[in-house]
Amino acid sequence: MTAHLSPAVVQDRLRDIQSITDVALSRLSADELLAALLERTRDILQADTAAVLLLDFSAGQLVATAAAGLEEEVRQGVRIPVGRGFAGRIAAEHRPVIFDHVDHTTVLNPILWEKGIRALMGVPLIADGKVIGVLHVGSLAARKFTTDDVELLQMAADRAATAVQSLLIREDRIAAAALQRSLLPSALPTSGGAEMAGRYAPGEGAVGGDWYDVFNLPSGELCTVIGDVTGSGLPAAVIMGRMRSALRAYALETRDPAEVLARLDRKMQHFEPGAVATVLYAVFDPCLERVHLCSAGHYPPVIARPARPAELADVAPGLLIGAAPGARRPVTTIDIAPGTLLCFYTDGLIERRGRSVDEGLTVLCQAVIAQSPDVACAEVMAALVGSDPAPDDIALLMFRRSLPGTG
Amino acid sequence: MFEEYLLQRLGPHAVITMPAEIDLTNADQVCQALLAAVSPGVAVLVIDMSRTTFCDSAGVHAVISAYRHAATTGTQLRLVATTVLRIFTIIGADEVIPLYPTLDEALADAAPAPAASGDPGDGRR
Repeated sequence: MTAHLSPAVVQDRLRDIQSITDVALSRLSADELLAALLERTRDILQADTAAVLLLDFSAGQLVATAAAGLEEEVRQGVRIPVGRGFAGRIAAEHRPVIFDHVDHTTVLNPILWEKGIRALMGVPLIADGKVIGVLHVGSLAARKFTTDDVELLQMAADRAATAVQSLLIREDRIAAAALQRSLLPSALPTSGGAEMAGRYAPGEGAVGGDWYDVFNLPSGELCTVIGDVTGSGLPAAVIMGRMRSALRAYALETRDPAEVLARLDRKMQHFEPGAVATVLYAVFDPCLERVHLCSAGHYPPVIARPARPAELADVAPGLLIGAAPGARRPVTTIDIAPGTLLCFYTDGLIERRGRSVDEGLTVLCQAVIAQSPDVACAEVMAALVGSDPAPDDIALLMFRRSLPGTG
Repeated sequence: MFEEYLLQRLGPHAVITMPAEIDLTNADQVCQALLAAVSPGVAVLVIDMSRTTFCDSAGVHAVISAYRHAATTGTQLRLVATTVLRIFTIIGADEVIPLYPTLDEALADAAPAPAASGDPGDGRR
């Protein structure tokens, strides 16, 4: 049998794992934490290999994420369906599993027996009551893992699981924020006669699926988009990115805004079933005298004509993207006199607990003034957000048709 | 907590009562309650928001999710809303879910065989 470490040394090593998870939360990346965890786990249990597979919830599969002495698993991108094989069983049953005999009849992943592993022991990684992955160790020599061994491994897993999850969530947030930044136009196109400004503000600690976009068509039209994918974090930001690209592609195929949103809706229902989004798409005539608006469940823009109080534009409502096949897509055309400002926004700007949506819209209309779009953005954000954290993310886009002689 | 989503069966129909406020903090619960209420045995599900004073777009999306699920079970949805009526019309949800000012009117419309069509209270087009 394997030489065991003394209880005092084991306690010391477990404290060591605790201390690296504490450090990890401030300094390490998830990869670095996992590497340190595996090194110490292998050491505590005097094992030859150690590996972590993390659960991909949407695929129902465990993905080899970190390994020591078994690096092939990660390099080859091993994926194990939950419920199958050694690791799959641990994840499905939420309990430790020990195999004293490893071959193709007991283990799904050929790397394990080809490597010469004779015995395996694994435990679930559990954070917030949910299985987030599996931690397993292996022995190249014949070995019977004991209940003491299992307890030790579970203790190591428990100390690491919460830190691993926090780091993964943080990395997802950073990725979502980077994606969000890369998809918002860095500089809005300046076309003769139009001035524009935009703002994006993440909600309380989390980026979401809000976006705005501005582009020109080859035929000279100026197009603006504002939209909101339901949900938050990386999944919403990824769907937002796909919608943004698809809408741009359809915009090149047809100038009819209703047809663009109909195609986008059909694409989303086929390729992203379950996703729901609102979109307001506007196509301005090349001379900017008129705008054609099509709304898929999105709040209408606020329109401020020079020297007149701002009001909600009377845009015919259409159904949200992803709700039902073949929804009607009415188009509303509005004349825009020089100096007129249009304010496009997402729900995060006006929705606050304890204030009705109507009240929020009233406050917004009072804050919108036909003036420079940059100043208008700043004033609207100051009036509606101020210094309070907004629960949901906010996208804001202002368009003004320049006054003669200023464009 | 679950009395907030009181579900009553009335023959082939059902009425689910929505909480006073629906926003990001409870929209998931509302969505789960609505999805559970939509079942193949329910011909018409009335979503009663008559005591709901606040509903934001997260709440609307919960109702839309229920609508999509209802399309697979053959259940028809009706929505009763007063204070929060505007958000459902402003974002076009009334195109697929008929809206009523009172529970009685929604039930009166739900009572006949669901095949009845051409009804002016029925917002389907």
